[in-house]
Amino acid sequence: MKETIYSSRASLHAPRAFLRQVREDARVVYHISGQLFVRNLKVQVRQSLLGYAWMLLPPLAVALVWVLLGRARVLNIESGPVPYPVFVLAGVFLWQGFVEALNCPLQQLSASKATLAKVRVPHEAFVAAGMGVVGFNCLVRLLVLLGAMLWAGVPFTSALALVPLGLAALLGLGLALGWLVALLGLLYADIPNALAVGLNLWFLVTPVVYVLPAQYGRLLSLNPVTPLLTTTRSWLLAGTVAPGPGFWLVAALTGLALGTNWLAYRLAQPHLIARF
Amino acid sequence: MSASPPLVTVRNLSKKFCTHLRSSLWYGLRDIVAEALPGRLRQPHRLRRAEFWSLQDVSFELRRGEALAIIGDNGAGKSTLLKLLNGLIKPDAGTIRILGRVGALIELGVGLDPLLSGRENIFLRASLLGVSQGQVAPLLPAIIDFTGLGSAIEMPVQFYSSGMVSRLAYAVAAHLHPDVLLVDEVLAVGDFDFQRKCIHHMMSYLAGGGSIILVSHQPHHIQSVCQRGLVLEKGQLAFSGTAVEALDYYFGQQLALGSPADAAPAAEALNELKPVVIEEVRMTGAGTGLCPGAAATIQLTYHALRSVQQVSWGFYLYTNDGQVCIGGAFHPTPTRISEGQHVLRCQLARLPLTAGNYLLRAAIFDCNSLQPLALFGWENAPGRLQVEAATSLEKNSHKLLNQLTILDVEWNH
Repeated sequence: MKETIYSSRASLHAPRAFLRQVREDARVVYHISGQLFVRNLKVQVRQSLLGYAWMLLPPLAVALVWVLLGRARVLNIESGPVPYPVFVLAGVFLWQGFVEALNCPLQQLSASKATLAKVRVPHEAFVAAGMGVVGFNCLVRLLVLLGAMLWAGVPFTSALALVPLGLAALLGLGLALGWLVALLGLLYADIPNALAVGLNLWFLVTPVVYVLPAQYGRLLSLNPVTPLLTTTRSWLLAGTVAPGPGFWLVAALTGLALGTNWLAYRLAQPHLIARF
Repeated sequence: MSASPPLVTVRNLSKKFCTHLRSSLWYGLRDIVAEALPGRLRQPHRLRRAEFWSLQDVSFELRRGEALAIIGDNGAGKSTLLKLLNGLIKPDAGTIRILGRVGALIELGVGLDPLLSGRENIFLRASLLGVSQGQVAPLLPAIIDFTGLGSAIEMPVQFYSSGMVSRLAYAVAAHLHPDVLLVDEVLAVGDFDFQRKCIHHMMSYLAGGGSIILVSHQPHHIQSVCQRGLVLEKGQLAFSGTAVEALDYYFGQQLALGSPADAAPAAEALNELKPVVIEEVRMTGAGTGLCPGAAATIQLTYHALRSVQQVSWGFYLYTNDGQVCIGGAFHPTPTRISEGQHVLRCQLARLPLTAGNYLLRAAIFDCNSLQPLALFGWENAPGRLQVEAATSLEKNSHKLLNQLTILDVEWNH
């Protein structure tokens, strides 16, 4: 029969027991998050007349705006051989994926506070369900982007096969930071407030709508999103297989940060619930 | 049964909270850092500024097939205890050891989505309790039948009443069979039929080897389900015993708080609008005290401003929680009460009560209108009776069966 012991000792006093508990919870996350993901999709359309069309409409609207701006030559920015609207569309869609992943843990856990305070359920399930929606949205945006590429005559290359890897790294970085944001944001409301401002500034120092300039290139490359975003975009549009400088380093650090920040949240979990 | 190891062992359990929000957040941050640095920063045994013990030094055990009631006022630490047992929050001192799977019925409505139908919510709720869709599917007809919701099961939950939500959530949890079930005041919103169904379910769950920790303010739920009870007072264990004893203790404490000693003396309340007051009602036994089956005398002392014709008087015996009237009698013949202080008496040849604590209330009323002229024990504290009996198998069986009265029976065979 399964034995569970709760005591006041710090969880890292018995790291094996702590990791065993994490592993046991991770085992049921799949079932719970599956149900929650289906719930999220159903709820999204049940009280709406346009239903699932809402998944396609926002990225289509964004694509249309950039295409029209490109045609009207309102923006005249150098984007290499790729038409500028498609270049921007790819950048915006990838950035949106990163931002949604970053916001996901705090949004999901804040919305489920009442349940988490009363029901013993792995918090990861809510985050995983939220990430499911983020992934689903990315897929829809990718389809819209592929349509735009087809329309603009951008060739499809074998480098497209690497896009899921780049996207996973980008979402992984967002999620890694998101766990930390959730840990602090569930305590202090300053965090979500500061995040909204910080993300706008971050957008400006990330080459989303412009090509990495030579003058500040080294400085902007210190931004961890830059190598992931530019590499994934070049896999999408330029067909260059070789990743940009720093991609593998950031991807590896992302994996490490994801594990560390997730475990840090696990350690904080009972103290956060006590304050819900 | 007693040889089996306890399913729940709680030793010197303590948990502190903070009354000041910002301090609480800061302490939370410090505690989180301390989790990562074992042995540093955190001093769980000491109270920091604005902190208080929500639960302090609580110990108990729960064995297979047992049901334990947790009784106490609001803020006594009952919900904190359930949260600790459910592993939601961490103790600040002491340990909890649990063998087997824990299921919790705490605030039934949480985790249900208002836009989804009852049927869809069954799967959602079950998944939150760690049961997959495949495991729930075969149980679905039984769960829907238990809810008694009929065709409403296809309706969005946002249109359900709170009672219907309880039915749905309880039905899901009831069919998942954990080893230990934590129940926190969830039956209060259901109708009588559903409450009866839940009590029946709990009894069969216990008979099947399950164990229950029940938090409730309903004495009849506690008496129906639980064998043992704990009373918490300001986070500390004030009493531990059988469920009936625990309820006796709890209601005794409650009555002591609002005892008539605090009320204004009856004589002072005497006026034209209230020409009669009952000053005291006592029941005394023939010897040292009140015993089951022995003779007893009831004595009512009243004070009247003037004499009143065509009145009668009666007494009523209540359970110690003041909820249930066990029996009573009134004088069948109209009588007259005289001006001044006087005493009315009557005798019981055989006191029909089993050993335990009871309340005594009395009334003097107008025989024509049947309106009370004076009441004792409703607006002020009632008289208290302690019926005592020597320890015997019969006394134990009365306790076990929650038997309150003894019938005078002539057996023919």
